Amino acid sequence: MKINKIATAIGFTLAISATVNAGVLPQSQVQSQWYESAQATLAQKQSQAQEEQLTKAKNVILFVGDGMGVSTLTAARILAGQRDGQLGEEGLLSFEEFPYSAQVKTYNVDAQTPDSAGTMTAMASGVKTDVGVIGVNENIERGDCTTVFGNELITTTELAEIKGLATGVVSTARITHATPAATYAKSADRNWEDVSDMPEGAVTAGCEDIASQLVNFEKNVEARFLGTDIDGIDVIMGGGRRHFLPKDAAFNSTDAVSSVEGDRTDERDLTAEWQANYPDGQYVMDKAGFEGISADTKQVLALFNESHMQYEADRENDIAGEPSLSEMTAKAIDILDNNEKGFFLTVESGRIDHAHHAGNAYNALNDTIEFAKAVQAAVDSTNPEETLILVTADHSHVFTIAGYPKRGNPILGKVVAVGSEEPSLASDGMPYTTLGYANGLGYRDLGDETDADAAYSEAPVVGRVDLSAIDTNSAGFHQEVTVPLGSETHAGEDISLHAKGPGAQLAQGVVEQNVIFHLVNQALELIEQ
Amino acid sequence: MKLVILSLALLSPLASAAQCTIDSQYMQASYKVSQQHEVDTAVHTQQFTLWRTLSQAAQQDEQLVEVWQQLSNQQLRPIRYFVQDKRGIEYQPSEVKAKQNFSSKQQLVSDELLAKMTLQSERGEGCDKVQKYSLKQADTTIEVSWVVNKKLLESMHITKPTGSQTIILQSVSFDKQTVQQQFAVWDNYQTTDYADIGDNESDPFLAKMINLGFIEHSAPGFYDTNGKTLKGGHHHSHH
Repeated sequence: MKINKIATAIGFTLAISATVNAGVLPQSQVQSQWYESAQATLAQKQSQAQEEQLTKAKNVILFVGDGMGVSTLTAARILAGQRDGQLGEEGLLSFEEFPYSAQVKTYNVDAQTPDSAGTMTAMASGVKTDVGVIGVNENIERGDCTTVFGNELITTTELAEIKGLATGVVSTARITHATPAATYAKSADRNWEDVSDMPEGAVTAGCEDIASQLVNFEKNVEARFLGTDIDGIDVIMGGGRRHFLPKDAAFNSTDAVSSVEGDRTDERDLTAEWQANYPDGQYVMDKAGFEGISADTKQVLALFNESHMQYEADRENDIAGEPSLSEMTAKAIDILDNNEKGFFLTVESGRIDHAHHAGNAYNALNDTIEFAKAVQAAVDSTNPEETLILVTADHSHVFTIAGYPKRGNPILGKVVAVGSEEPSLASDGMPYTTLGYANGLGYRDLGDETDADAAYSEAPVVGRVDLSAIDTNSAGFHQEVTVPLGSETHAGEDISLHAKGPGAQLAQGVVEQNVIFHLVNQALELIEQ
Repeated sequence: MKLVILSLALLSPLASAAQCTIDSQYMQASYKVSQQHEVDTAVHTQQFTLWRTLSQAAQQDEQLVEVWQQLSNQQLRPIRYFVQDKRGIEYQPSEVKAKQNFSSKQQLVSDELLAKMTLQSERGEGCDKVQKYSLKQADTTIEVSWVVNKKLLESMHITKPTGSQTIILQSVSFDKQTVQQQFAVWDNYQTTDYADIGDNESDPFLAKMINLGFIEHSAPGFYDTNGKTLKGGHHHSHH
């Protein structure tokens, strides 16, 4: 009782002082830039809360940074700021300025730490599923074609097509890779990218490879939903040409890397099939072809690389040239917004994940910065009152920002403590980097190498390395690891969702990843209730 | 008439040498490697085969085949084939062109290394013309026997204070069809893009590779412009 009285008295005192004593705050406090900017942020949030909340959108763009966990966002924003001459920590990536955000749980039905196939299936269909499978539910047995039938899920891309919207899929990975594939395909294994990747039994049992499903998308949807008449995916851009061409050197493009570019063992040229399906459509395979695509082009199939497209830092090393993710995004919107009913576009930055797997923070962050530019390109070329933009990741990586570096310390550099000019030393007497990985290949110093994957040439490095004379800011530096593995792994912690536009206000709290499908569906009213 | 004969006499060896080079573009050459270390008197030997076409070179031992493809933009792209598993890992071409000399892949000794060496003697004519070269750099001595018009290494001996290594040609053939067929066999192996390894730990072959690490080539293989043995795959000497 006595305690209650004291508590009440304290509460009363605080209440009084909170209302009448605002002026007691010292000028140095209220005039502080931190104080003022936080006040401005709060005022903006209050104003936002007063605004009319639109819930229905004409267009939705879903951006997915593959493997872009929260530590990747933090490090990328610091790097972007430091490249602009700032200290770095204070900045925001384009989509971090969006008004709404949520924390997203990524686990797969059968896996604590997920993969892209299961996570993107959840985002595209509203249903969580197993690791390694595409567009099918948890009743599937991975690799068993016969379990596909009856377990297929319907995706936002399919529903948007049925509704008459324009649709697009853009990725820097192979367009048949797990994340983009989950927007249009149903497969018992993420690796069934073309017929040569499938066991013979799966082919004879009637399963169709992922590349073939992309080219036959229109036909397959119309067969699945009798009476529907769709016009197919309008914009397809990415890598993965090998899965569309026959295993015959006669079909090599001028951008071919392999002596025989195509992998298909069924003699089908899917690029020709696509062109036959869409005589007014344009098939391109290089930067020059990309630049020749006009905004009034009806349909586009762009396959810029035999395999994955290049890392952003490595693009100039491509044989025939490739557009950037932001260029592809802007071009895709230019074409899709011709549809008066609206559009649904999925954009993936596929190689953030690959750089992390290779243990190379430089390329992971550099591609994240380009991803943020692509989001900005979308913001700049759409009407905010009619376009919902969602930006998220599929999963995280075991990527850390550690030690006690001082403010503004180069994010790719060695830890230099507050008040010091020299790198801090660990208990083994050697300096260490701020960025690191819990597992993976470990230390490599590949100098100015901009291809992160070059790291796989040599076995994992166990233990610590003396970094005193190493430039850890270079593109070819690979961070040290705790557990040596042949490839760095995904991580199981939550990732973030950033939202702007009609319906964005529903992105809040801690949500399951499959909620993202429902945010898209709610905004576009894909399914009539 | 005399003038014509004189011209032919002058041209003939040149034409012949050029023809030798063309005829040796497709090659299968078997080598024996002997290594001896200062502290270990035993001589360790192993065999490997060098295969080449116009745009590809491969070094094959019992377990592993390392192929280098020269691309249209002069970049080199490595592929590693694991013979028992009939699987391959495809790498991306590196842009560090200076570190990847295609002549060192096709000939075992690069044109640059040969250019740095001193010609000691010469024997034979035309296709069989053999040149002996030597080079001493710091504590390393390299001696090379070079079939110049076939661009074929006959032997190489490297001596260092820590030991020595000898590579000797055992047999060679220039049958284009056989060479093309061998490359086609490897090309039919199931391959994985190395960027995809991290997403495929459930694949037993890739899981094994991940756990073992991507083993370096066991054969002594290729030499850079300084006569230094290169490791397999990408090699970078930034320090």
